[in-house]
Amino acid sequence: MKKLLIISLFSLTAQFVISCSDIKRERGKNYMPDMVDSRAYETYADHSNLTTKGIKYNALPVPGTVQRGEELPYHLPNDSSGYAQSYNLTSPLPKLSASDMVEAERLYIINCGICHGTALDGNGPLYKGGNGPYAAKPATLVGDPNIEALPEGTIFHVQTYGKNLMGSYASQLNRKQRWMVAQYIKSKQGGAKPAGAAATDSTATAAAPAAGGGTGK
Amino acid sequence: MIQHRRIDKKFALVLVFTICFSFVNKIFAQPNGQALFSSNCASCHAVHKNLTGPALAGVEARWGKKENLHAWIKNSSAYLKTGDPYATALYNQYNKTNMPAFTSLTEQDIDAILAYVNSVPAPGTGDSAAGGGASSAATESDNTLLFGILTLILAVIALVLLQVNSNLRKLSAEKEGEHALEPVPFYRNKAYIAVITVVLFCVGGYLTTTGAIGLGRTPDYQPIQPIYYSHKVHAGTNQISCLYCHGGAQEGKHANIPSINVCMNCHMAVNEYTGKDKLYKEDGTEINGTAEIQKLYKYAGYDPSVNKVWTPNNKATPIEWVKIHSLPDHVYFNHSQHVKAGQVACQTCHGEIQKMDEVKQFADLSMGWCINCHRTTKVQFKDNGFYSIYQKFHEDLKNGKIDSAKGITVEKIGGTECQKCHY
Repeated sequence: MKKLLIISLFSLTAQFVISCSDIKRERGKNYMPDMVDSRAYETYADHSNLTTKGIKYNALPVPGTVQRGEELPYHLPNDSSGYAQSYNLTSPLPKLSASDMVEAERLYIINCGICHGTALDGNGPLYKGGNGPYAAKPATLVGDPNIEALPEGTIFHVQTYGKNLMGSYASQLNRKQRWMVAQYIKSKQGGAKPAGAAATDSTATAAAPAAGGGTGK
Repeated sequence: MIQHRRIDKKFALVLVFTICFSFVNKIFAQPNGQALFSSNCASCHAVHKNLTGPALAGVEARWGKKENLHAWIKNSSAYLKTGDPYATALYNQYNKTNMPAFTSLTEQDIDAILAYVNSVPAPGTGDSAAGGGASSAATESDNTLLFGILTLILAVIALVLLQVNSNLRKLSAEKEGEHALEPVPFYRNKAYIAVITVVLFCVGGYLTTTGAIGLGRTPDYQPIQPIYYSHKVHAGTNQISCLYCHGGAQEGKHANIPSINVCMNCHMAVNEYTGKDKLYKEDGTEINGTAEIQKLYKYAGYDPSVNKVWTPNNKATPIEWVKIHSLPDHVYFNHSQHVKAGQVACQTCHGEIQKMDEVKQFADLSMGWCINCHRTTKVQFKDNGFYSIYQKFHEDLKNGKIDSAKGITVEKIGGTECQKCHY
């Protein structure tokens, strides 16, 4: 009888010790959850049950909404005609000051450098001369005559909508930042000037919101 | 004069020779297929993988006639007008994207490229089984369990020795003929009981206090996420900046969890995990990285076999990542204030996230932890427009009234005021 008790106690302790894992998968308890959890709907809160509560809320702005201080929506469509027209776009920005150029370079390194390389040679850490995980060779921004021939507007257009395997960066860079990066890239290239500098009326077809950019502010 | 002329002559001769040689070189030099492929084709084509354009392995067999293939490569849109059914099918299959014309490529160049394409071995046949050994998951158990067991064993030994001691004393007393007192069992021994009570009180008190303090704090919280996303692979091995995905950290309160389009920026092309390091969950189970990318495709509504290009219009459903770092509602925390104005590195609060496969909460996010940092961290006054309004501090620093080595802590500019974070 006593033996049995000892054996069972021992095995129970062993089991307890083994099952004690130091990986913490559960969050645990709080003192007063009503002071901890927000009563208002926070970012990333569960919005799924709103309609059942009769709350008609849509996180997206009304189509055609223009952010305060923002220009009118980008008017060129995401197709070959838009791409062709982007040749004539001119940057709304003046020539960047030295400090703005540093900021543009920072934006370039964060968002573009991983593929196109911090030296703009199309050999970032994701491609690594073909040994990286990214299978397609990113465009060589400096040194490739085809790319250097592209005007600032097209670089902006490609950042906005993406091209081939490159995705849209409209959600990561706002419009001013995209123009800044475009100017930075042009400044690094061999001083090539945009060919068609004909000023276009950027408000021509302003009604259509940039659908591809989506929620990018 | 004569000398001059001789030099001129020599010079001219050399010039002629160099021109000749460079010309000869050009005629006889084999075009480098790999270099041509890399500069002209690699943006859209891989040898064994469909990208923007199809995989090029076996392209000659697929096309059959060599002239057609060459004509297609030189100017695909012109060739398309001839109505070749294979070309038309290809054009439709790949999203009606025209391949740019490569009029600058000569016949030899194209042959060199095709020769290079044929020379690339298929992945998996060549250098497979590279590094089969190094798979031991870091089984670095901590020593607490060992120490606990040791303490227990020592305690048992001490108890046994005490019993032996008392028994021996009893035996010796009996031998000497003294009548020993009937021994009191240890659970009725007052000294024992007193010691155990005090120990229990201390241990229990300690455990209760730490437990109460820890209630609501979640250090080391490491939930299972819907997709096994390794920060080690992305931010560590592949050197992607934190701000690429969490750009909100420099712009607003939230660091933002990237939406699917940010994932698909790279994962439209990166559709398998080929890293050298194997992936493991925290409990040691191995993870198939490629299967995890497939999970992302499912969320993104992307089927590479149907549609080559992912657009945000594909039916994407949000990935419900589990939030790890949560502050209670009565605390206000703003990322941009710390990242942009304060210039604090991400790792200060989140730990070495570039080395974590599965993210765990690094700091305990308690108020004491916040305040301690505010008391010791120096404000980055130099070249920081955000703090230019603190003119007095700037002057004092300049005049040497404040030791610039010690600097000004966050506390001095009001970083420990209650209403900075609680309002």
